[in-house]
Amino acid sequence: MSDRESPTKERRPWKQGRPPMAWAADIPTGRSRRPRGRPLLYTSYSQDMALLDTGAKKVWTGLLVLVAFGLSVVLADRSLEVLAGAYVLAIGAIGLNIVTGYAGQVSLGHAFFVAIGAYTGAALSGPPGGRTLGFGVAEIWIWLPAAGLMAAAAGVLVAPLATRLRGLYLAVVTLGLVFLGEHIFKEWDALTGGPGVGRSAAVPQLFGVRLDQDGPLGTREQLLYLLMLVLLIVFAVAARNLARSRIGRAFMAIRDRDIAAEVMGVPLTRYKVLAFGISSFYAGCAGALLYSISGYVEPGSFSLLLSVQFIAMVLIGGVATVSGAIAGALFISLLQPLTRSLPALVPFVSADTTVTPNVFQVETVLYGLLIILFLVFEPRGLFGVWIRVRNYWKSWPFSY
Amino acid sequence: MTMTATRTQTIATRVRRRAEESPGAVAMRYKDFGIWKEAGWLTYWTHVELVAHALMALGVQPGDRVAVHSENRPEWLYADLATVAIRGITVGLYPTNPPAEVAYLLSNSGAKILIAEDQEQVDKALAVIDECPDLERIVYLEPRGIRGRYDDPRLMSWEELLAMGAERAGPLEERMASAEPGDVMTLIYTSGTTGPPKGVMLTVANVEFAVRTLVENGGFTSPPPSERDLIVSYLPLCHVAERAFTVWFNSAAGVQVNFAESIDTVQANLREVQPTILFGVPRIWEKILAQVNIKIDSASPLKRLTTRLWLRVADRIGDTLVRTGGRHTMGTRALYGLGWLMCYRSLRERLGMRRVRYAASGAAPIAPDVLKFYMGIGVAMHEVYGMSENTAIATGNRPGRIRLGTVGEPQEGVELRIDELTGEILTRHPGTFAGYWRNPRATADVLDEDGWLHTGDVGEWVEGTHVRITDRMKDILITAGGKNVAPSEMENALKASPYIKEAVVIGDQRPYLVALIGIELDTVGEWARRRGLSYTTYRDLSEKSEVRELVQGIVDEVNQRFARVEQVRRFAFLPKELDHEDGELTATQKVKRSAIAKLFEELVEGMYRR
Repeated sequence: MSDRESPTKERRPWKQGRPPMAWAADIPTGRSRRPRGRPLLYTSYSQDMALLDTGAKKVWTGLLVLVAFGLSVVLADRSLEVLAGAYVLAIGAIGLNIVTGYAGQVSLGHAFFVAIGAYTGAALSGPPGGRTLGFGVAEIWIWLPAAGLMAAAAGVLVAPLATRLRGLYLAVVTLGLVFLGEHIFKEWDALTGGPGVGRSAAVPQLFGVRLDQDGPLGTREQLLYLLMLVLLIVFAVAARNLARSRIGRAFMAIRDRDIAAEVMGVPLTRYKVLAFGISSFYAGCAGALLYSISGYVEPGSFSLLLSVQFIAMVLIGGVATVSGAIAGALFISLLQPLTRSLPALVPFVSADTTVTPNVFQVETVLYGLLIILFLVFEPRGLFGVWIRVRNYWKSWPFSY
Repeated sequence: MTMTATRTQTIATRVRRRAEESPGAVAMRYKDFGIWKEAGWLTYWTHVELVAHALMALGVQPGDRVAVHSENRPEWLYADLATVAIRGITVGLYPTNPPAEVAYLLSNSGAKILIAEDQEQVDKALAVIDECPDLERIVYLEPRGIRGRYDDPRLMSWEELLAMGAERAGPLEERMASAEPGDVMTLIYTSGTTGPPKGVMLTVANVEFAVRTLVENGGFTSPPPSERDLIVSYLPLCHVAERAFTVWFNSAAGVQVNFAESIDTVQANLREVQPTILFGVPRIWEKILAQVNIKIDSASPLKRLTTRLWLRVADRIGDTLVRTGGRHTMGTRALYGLGWLMCYRSLRERLGMRRVRYAASGAAPIAPDVLKFYMGIGVAMHEVYGMSENTAIATGNRPGRIRLGTVGEPQEGVELRIDELTGEILTRHPGTFAGYWRNPRATADVLDEDGWLHTGDVGEWVEGTHVRITDRMKDILITAGGKNVAPSEMENALKASPYIKEAVVIGDQRPYLVALIGIELDTVGEWARRRGLSYTTYRDLSEKSEVRELVQGIVDEVNQRFARVEQVRRFAFLPKELDHEDGELTATQKVKRSAIAKLFEELVEGMYRR
C-alpha cells in the first residue's frame, strides 16, 4: 500500500495545501477489491458488468475452452472437420443473432451475405489468371476482414430498407435478397464458376503456413479446427461485449419497441444500419471460412435452405444469446452426420436425392419440426433449458 | 502529530489512530446507485474533523447536545464522532419518531444543533420548533425538497457544514485532549413503554468499559472482533445495542460497517454483504423464520420435500446443541456436514448468514424455538442481555456454553445479583450510567447508594451460572385468584408461530387470562391464498372464521405447555396492525401495554363479558 511507504507525507494529507473539501469529497480507499466470497457485493460498476462475474463462471468457462482445445488431439480427423464446420456456422449464427436476436430485425437474407463473404475470400485468395477471378492473396488476415467488410457493405446498403419496414415485410424483402443473390451467383460464371461447376474456395494461409495441408504442426483437420476455434472465441467474445455495451442496449431497446427506443433518444436509422452491418460482417467472415474447409464453393449452396438453417440455429440455440447461438450451431451441424447415417438404419429413407423420401428431405423436415417444437415448448431455446436448470439449482432450497 | 497529550481514550481518538495507521483500509460501506461505496479510515476521520470544526464554529461547548435524526448512514457516525471529539453529547432520534415525540426529545435534551436526514425529518423539527428554544441550527443531509424551497435561517446543508469546518478551524486538538472520563458523551432515550422516554447519560468511561468488555475481551464474540469482520448496520443507531455493534465495534476493533439501504431491504443487503457478525432483535429473527416457512411452502415439490427433511434434521441437531450448550458432537457434526451440502449452505447463503460466525439476539425476549432453528442450521445464535442504563453490559450466552431460555452468564467484571425479596436483577460495574438526563428522581429510583442498578427485570439463576429472565417487573400480572403470572412467556410462545405477530396477554385483577392477538399479514395472507380465501384488508383477513380456527389451534397447542392459571381462555384479534405513529408501539416496536389496554378496552371487556 502506497500509504505505508511514505508515512510522513501521507499522514494528515489534508493539511498539506490541498483544500480540505477536496479531500473530504473523495479519498480513495486504496483497495477496490471486494471482500472475499461475496459475489453480490459490488464495489464498482465494472464488477457488476463483468463478463465472468463469479468464480464458478471463470472456472467452468476456462475448463470448457481447455477441453475444446484438447479435443484437437483426442478426436479423429473426420470429427474435427465436422466440428470446425460447426464453429464457423456458429460465427454465422452469432451474426444473425445480432440483427435478429438482439436488434429484433427479422432477416431471411443471411445466406446472401454468407455468399458475398465466401466469394470475396475465394476471389482474393484464388490463383490469378485462372478459370475464375483470382488475386492470389492467400493470407487469411487479409482476405478474412475483406470478406467481412464486403458483406458488411452489402448489409449497410440493404439496411435503409429495414428502417422503413418492420416484421413480415422486412422478412419478405430479405427473402427477395436471397433469390436475387442466387440468380446473380449462378449467372456470374467468371466469379463463381457457374452452377454445378463451382470454384475453389478461399485458401487459409497464415504467415506462409498453409492450414489446409498436413504440416509439421498437425494434420490439415487439426490445423483448421484450431483456427476455427480461435476465431470463434474471438468473434463470440466480441459479440458478447457488443451486447453489453451502449450499442447492444440500443439494439435491445429497438427490438423491444422501436418507437419507445426512438423517444428515449436511440437514433433508429443509425442503429439499424449498424446492426445489419455488424451482422453481415459476421456472415461474410463465416462464409469465407466455411468453404475453406471443403476447399470448394458451388453457387447453388446459397439458397433459402442455408438461411433457414441459420434461423434454426438461432431459434433452437436461444434468441439473443451468444452461447445459445453456439449451442444451436453445434446442434444443427451434429444433426447432419446423424441424418446422413439414417439410410443404414431406416430402410425407406434413401441417400439418393432422386428418390423420395431422401435424407435431405428428412433434414429439411427436421429443421422445421425442431423450430416448431422449440418455439412451442421452449421459446428461449437450448439456452433457455440451461437457464431453467441453472435457476433450479441457484434458487435451492426455495423456488424463487 | 501523534497522540498529543491525549490522556483519555475516546471513540474519537480510536478512529484518529486508525486513520493514521491504516488510512486506506475500509471503515464502512454504503450503497449508492446499486454500488457499495467504500469509505476508508482517512475519509472517516477527515469528515469527523471537518464536522467537529464546524460544530465548534457553531458554538457547541463541552456538554452541549447535538441531535441526530436520521437512518443509519456514514453521516450519522461522522456527526456522532465529531460531537464526542469536541466533548459534546450526541442524542439520537428514531427516524420513525412522530413530531410530538421529536418535540419532547429535542426540548428535553435541549439540543443546540439538529442533524436531520431529509425533508421529512426537517419538517417534523420545523413543525415543533417553537417548543424547542435551545435549537439553533438544523443541518440537513439530503437537499432534495429543501434547497431553494425553505428559507428558514436556521437551516444549513451538510456541504455548508463541511465547508464551514474547512474554513473555520478551531482548537480541536486541545478540545480532544481535554476530554475527561466523566464526560457524558451520549444520551440514549429509553423506549418509554410506561411513561415519557428518559435520557440515559452514558459517559466516556462507561463506553470505554463497554468497549473493553464487549469488544477487546470478546464479551460477545470469540475470538474478539477484528478488521476482517463485517457487520450490517440496520437497526436504529439511537438504540444502545446497534450503537455498540456499529459505532463501538467499528472504532474499537475496526469491524467493517455496511449500512443497509433501509429496513425493507435488510434481507437483500444481508445477502450481498454476508456479514460475519449479526445482531438482531427477536422481531427480525421471527420474521426471517416466517419467511423461510413461506418460501418452503411455495417451493416445487422436490425442493419442499428435501428442505423439510433437512429442517427436521436441523431441528434434531438443534436439540443436541441445546443439550450440549452449542458444542457439536461427532454425530451432529457428521449430520450437519451432510445437511450443509444438501441444504444449509444454500439456505444460509439465501438468508445472508453463510459467513456469520456470531449471531446475537437481544433487546427483547425471544422464543427458544426460534433460537433453536438458527442453531440447527448452523448459525451460532446467542441470546444476550443488557440495557441502556448499564451500557448494554449485563449477561450473554458464551459460545459453547449456551443455555436456551436464559440470557447467559454475567460478563467479565460485572457484579450481578438477584434481589431475594422481589426477584429483581441488580447489576453493578463501571458501565453503570451516570443518571437520567435532568431527572434525578428517576435516577434515584433505579440507582441505589451502593451503585447497584435496579434493572426492573425479574429473573432467576439457572444452574447457578446462567440467568433466566421471567418478565418485566411492571408487567407481572396478579389474577383475581391471587396468582402471579408473567405474561411474556405466554406471549413469546404465541409469537413463535409464524402466523402471529403480536400477542398481548391481559388479566390483571381478572378471573382468567385473555389475549389480544395480531396476525402476521404476510404469512396468514399466503396461507389464505393457498386455501383460496379471498380477503381485502388486514381487518377483513383477521375476521375470517378460518383464520380464527387457525389461531385457535395455535393457542390451544401453546396452552398445553402452561399451567392452568397461566392459560389463555379467550382471545380477540386486534383490528389493525399496531403502529408507532398511533402510539401503540414504542420506537423499538415494543408494545405499550397501558396504551393498548385503553385503546382496545371494548375488545377486552367483551372477552370477559361473554
